[in-house]
Amino acid sequence: MNEYKLVFTGTTGAGKTTAINAISETATIVTDVANTDPTLAKASTTVGLDFGQINLANGDRVRLFGTPGQSRFDFMWKILVKDAFGLIILIDNSRPAPLEDLEVYLNGFSHELQTTPCVIGVGRTEAYPNPSLDDFSIKLENQNLTLPVIPVDVRRAEDVTMLIDILMAQAEADLINA
Amino acid sequence: MNTPEHIRNTAYTECQQLLNEVNGLMAVVISSGDGFDLASAVSKALDPARIAAMASSIAAIGAVVSQEVQLGKSKSVTVNTEDGFVYITHVELAGTSYILNVVAGQSAILAQVIYQCSEISKRLRSI
Repeated sequence: MNEYKLVFTGTTGAGKTTAINAISETATIVTDVANTDPTLAKASTTVGLDFGQINLANGDRVRLFGTPGQSRFDFMWKILVKDAFGLIILIDNSRPAPLEDLEVYLNGFSHELQTTPCVIGVGRTEAYPNPSLDDFSIKLENQNLTLPVIPVDVRRAEDVTMLIDILMAQAEADLINA
Repeated sequence: MNTPEHIRNTAYTECQQLLNEVNGLMAVVISSGDGFDLASAVSKALDPARIAAMASSIAAIGAVVSQEVQLGKSKSVTVNTEDGFVYITHVELAGTSYILNVVAGQSAILAQVIYQCSEISKRLRSI
């Protein structure tokens, strides 16, 4: 049996905890506390990590970790991304500057992005179509990165599973091209 | 974080007093559960904002560990290091839960820090 570690990161409120809750087959471990930041319209926020697990049809196990979103917790980013098989960056398109948000994580995980497969999941695109998915791709190109950018609703398990499938496909492609 | 000024001042006084009174302390920070520093006193180049964020993560992980192993509510976390220790505990201030973080060098005595923190906790709870 193989074990894989996937890490969900991205902006506060983008749904990292929700995504892991949506698909985990075990009770999730959540380190949410009351939010005191008036600039964030949410009652609680992750300050440590989220953890869940899924088992694949072939018996392999995927361990799912979620990071805190705020960059003041970037020390947790470094801890959690260690030995990760893949990285999923979730962006909330309803926030004021989603492209700048993406840049925070591209910079925060710049070292890992050189070797670790990554997918960008953009949420709330139906109500907030701008920036477009193309704008995200251009932003990535400007940073010399070519990564899949997918619209997602992380409350739906099938959307989260799709992100993981794309990540796995990307990892396979990287292996073939290596 | 909208904390009344007098509460912030009280928290600051407690941090400063602890730093002055206990030998070997490098930093005392009182922070919110989500990692914002409310008040701090430092004796060397340590960033209270950074300490506050780390303490918040450690306290939250301590809480889920104690929950997972069914050992009741987490009271404190101690990180023992080669050159000192970090002690993290919960305090209540004006009905709100905060985290008290103490960063100490080799010359500090853990038991003394634990005792002083419990005294601070009693005083803050009565505000």
